[in-house]
Amino acid sequence: MGKKSNIRNFCIIAHIDHGKSTLADRLMERTGQVSERDMEAQLLDSMDIERERGITIKLTPVRMFYKAKNGEEYEFNLIDTPGHVDFTYEVSRSLAACEGAILIVDASQGVEAQTLANVYLALENNLEILPVINKIDLPSARPDEVKTEIEEVIGLDASAAPLVSAKEGIGIDDVLEAIVSAFPPPQGDERAPLKALIFDSYYDNYKGVILFVRIKDGCVRAGDKIKTFRSDKVYEVVETGVFSPNLQPKNGLFAGEVGYIAASIKSIQDVAVGDTVMNADNPAPEPLPGYKKVQSVVFCGIYPLDGSKFNDLKDAILKLQLNDASLIFEPDSSVALGFGFRCGFLGLLHMEIMQERIEREFGLEIITTAPSVSYKVIKTDGEEIFVDNPSHLPPVSEIEHMEEPIVKADIYSPPDYLGQIMDLCREKRGTFLGMTYLDKSRVQLEYNLPLNEIIFDFFDQIKSRTRGYASFDYELIGYERSKLVKLDIMLNGEVCDALSMIVHEDSAYTRGRTLCENLKEAIPRQLFEVPVQAAIGGKIIARETVKAVRKDVLAKCYGGDITRKKKLLEKQKEGKKRMRSIGSVEVPSEVFMQILKTNKD
Amino acid sequence: MAGIYVHIPFCKSKCTYCDFASYPDKLCFAESYMACVYREMAMRSPELEGMTFDTLYIGGGTPSVIDEKYIAMLVAAAKKHFKLAENAEITIEMNPGTVSAGKISLYEKCGINRFSVGLQSAIDSQLENIGRIHNLKDYLACAKLLKGKNFSADIMIGLKNQSIADIEYSIEVAASSGASHISMYALSPEDGTPIYTDYLNGELPDGDTVAEMYAAGVKRLCALGFERYEVSNFCKKGKQSRHNLNYWKRGNYIGFGVAASSCVNNVRMTNTFDLDEYFKCILSNHFAVVNSEEVDKDGQEEEYIMLALRTSAGIDLAEFASLFGSDFTKKYAEALQKTRGYIEVTDGFVKIKDEFLFVQNSIIVEYLRLRG
Repeated sequence: MGKKSNIRNFCIIAHIDHGKSTLADRLMERTGQVSERDMEAQLLDSMDIERERGITIKLTPVRMFYKAKNGEEYEFNLIDTPGHVDFTYEVSRSLAACEGAILIVDASQGVEAQTLANVYLALENNLEILPVINKIDLPSARPDEVKTEIEEVIGLDASAAPLVSAKEGIGIDDVLEAIVSAFPPPQGDERAPLKALIFDSYYDNYKGVILFVRIKDGCVRAGDKIKTFRSDKVYEVVETGVFSPNLQPKNGLFAGEVGYIAASIKSIQDVAVGDTVMNADNPAPEPLPGYKKVQSVVFCGIYPLDGSKFNDLKDAILKLQLNDASLIFEPDSSVALGFGFRCGFLGLLHMEIMQERIEREFGLEIITTAPSVSYKVIKTDGEEIFVDNPSHLPPVSEIEHMEEPIVKADIYSPPDYLGQIMDLCREKRGTFLGMTYLDKSRVQLEYNLPLNEIIFDFFDQIKSRTRGYASFDYELIGYERSKLVKLDIMLNGEVCDALSMIVHEDSAYTRGRTLCENLKEAIPRQLFEVPVQAAIGGKIIARETVKAVRKDVLAKCYGGDITRKKKLLEKQKEGKKRMRSIGSVEVPSEVFMQILKTNKD
Repeated sequence: MAGIYVHIPFCKSKCTYCDFASYPDKLCFAESYMACVYREMAMRSPELEGMTFDTLYIGGGTPSVIDEKYIAMLVAAAKKHFKLAENAEITIEMNPGTVSAGKISLYEKCGINRFSVGLQSAIDSQLENIGRIHNLKDYLACAKLLKGKNFSADIMIGLKNQSIADIEYSIEVAASSGASHISMYALSPEDGTPIYTDYLNGELPDGDTVAEMYAAGVKRLCALGFERYEVSNFCKKGKQSRHNLNYWKRGNYIGFGVAASSCVNNVRMTNTFDLDEYFKCILSNHFAVVNSEEVDKDGQEEEYIMLALRTSAGIDLAEFASLFGSDFTKKYAEALQKTRGYIEVTDGFVKIKDEFLFVQNSIIVEYLRLRG
């Protein structure tokens, strides 16, 4: 295909809901990639969850051809990126595969915190940035003010920024022309040994692992022998191709291009995202700079609802990790839930999305334990350890003190709800840092908050207390010493490890009491009375009782018809499969989910 | 042991809890229906030639609502087509509002020797609530006609506004009127019945209250000399319903009429619930079976356990060993261990302790295997 100088690799960065996917769809439509008629709303958000939630989770590459006003034809490779704070890692991965970034700013809302974070990421990666002002069709649009804002806040020249309405199809041509002129063509030497950056991958049942790559140097064709820098396994390339946006085979990928490689790679562990693909016969002397290793922020245990499905779960998590390198996991086991995995996520949304993907894409029913953060434990012997699983906490006698992760939270809200938000932050042990009126209708509040308060029910609370008007972002800023205790739940005197959690001393009592109350409602009555207790150390702080069942009998057999009765008993027996035993108490797996979800007051 | 069941699907009016095949508006079809039942018996007769039947049970609906001559013909047909034992127990269900001296005397003349009367409650307002056509006075008149005969009374627990005192009173009435057998059933509100609305609106006593009332009822029955022989059945010495015992022992039984169930040589069958379809089948000389299932060895064992644990006697270990060729206490050691607090193992029997019969499902499921 064409000259390298006619290739433009770029991504789009934007705040959630500023119209990133819509603009991407328009670009594809205008370049003839898809006809308007065939276009499913929001083409790039191909996962069900993405469409339902209206957000982009995965980056999705697509190739387009554009005939510019100068008469030349250009190849555009667009890599869509997620906007949510939890997915910054995905963003940084796609940035490394591009030379330019379109920055979309909403013409009425202006520059948002998350936009800034991504802009800085793009600048760190030496990307050219093209500001585009979207939603100019809205009555509240104030493009000139927003232009000034971009110049003042970000320090970018926005005077030539295209004014568009992706929704209405206004200004799309300006954007296409600007892509040609603003972004540099890719560098790289076609004759040098192959160096390709793996920026994503997924598992295809027929083709094996599909690698999404950006060719930095050299070229790769079907039949070539390839290996990655970190593994010595050699594979033969079966197919190369580009994204249109579906996989479209193309013979050979050359320096500067973005595409995919299929090489019958069966073992998921051999090809990590961020690694460099090389030619096995003529390996490049050194790899490309990879990605920064991500730090998990939120942790939880994931167990199969049906204990016999452990291997299916393992398979599912491995395949998801291939597609999302930020997912971290290790095998774990719990007395109550059996074998499962302890997983680390970039944030709450990331965790939720992963849980949903396991259930939807792999048809597995899972139980997840209460989300936890990683605590720093300073032991009496001076040793410092990190604990994210309450059951791994050392005995109290060995703990000198504990520290918890703190985040800086930016909360945006109409001024009407300031009181409610401040109350909430106070309840959640927040430290007030400052308040800024962004305009008449929007206030920015800054707080330092313990992360473990945020993962509990902060998000739900802030939404319900502000009728959904407030939004917030947070970033980890460090650890602070705190009075933390391990709260245990005991059923009939036995500790249920899956329900243990690390909480602040001040909220332990309330939390324990709520848990006991919820459990009392959720645990089915047994043949005997079951005390439900919350305890700190050995001390009971709350107690409820599940009364013994008194009636569980089938009425008479009319005219000897016992089949219905038999079915009922069989169903009851079937239900036992979903039960977990805590000592002598049988608890349906769903209870663990319910309890952890209904933890709101 | 083997039994015959005949279903008479007619009623004067439908009770609010009634969920079975009964048609209050189709009494005019009684004659044709009974003719079909006789014919169904004739059709079934050849294959059951060698079997001796110990019981005949005429249930419903309300068998006493149809002309007594059809009942007499029914008993005659049963005797003609099947080998009925000399001392066979022949029971008919009756509604106290539909009996007369003449009826009862004809019943007796044709061989009926046991009567089951639907008292349900001795409180008139409660009877009215559930749509019964009789009141206490009718019951007492009926019981007077049955004086000295072998009869049973049904009592229901869990009715709207029912108190422990009401239940005790109903039991007293049944016992003092001469019933030698009392069936005490906890009402189960089924979706689609009028009483289900009461249930949804929380107007019926909840499970705990029912359990409490039931326990009080059991206590009173025992004080009056009744012995519990199954979770819901009580009787004076030797007055068990042999027909029902046969169900719980997994004996053979053959059912005739709409919705009747059979279990012969481990094949379970159910007739159609649809009256018209039943007519069509029988009149064209076809059986009216809509469901038929052969119970395999594991299924038989499972049924045996689940039914035997309903009874106060429990599982007869020797019988179990001879039927299934294994030692119950060894094969089910794990379940026995798990349910040890609720089970009694004594001289050759394994049974659920009396005080846990009312929560037996939770115990029985420990003895069932998971399928699939």
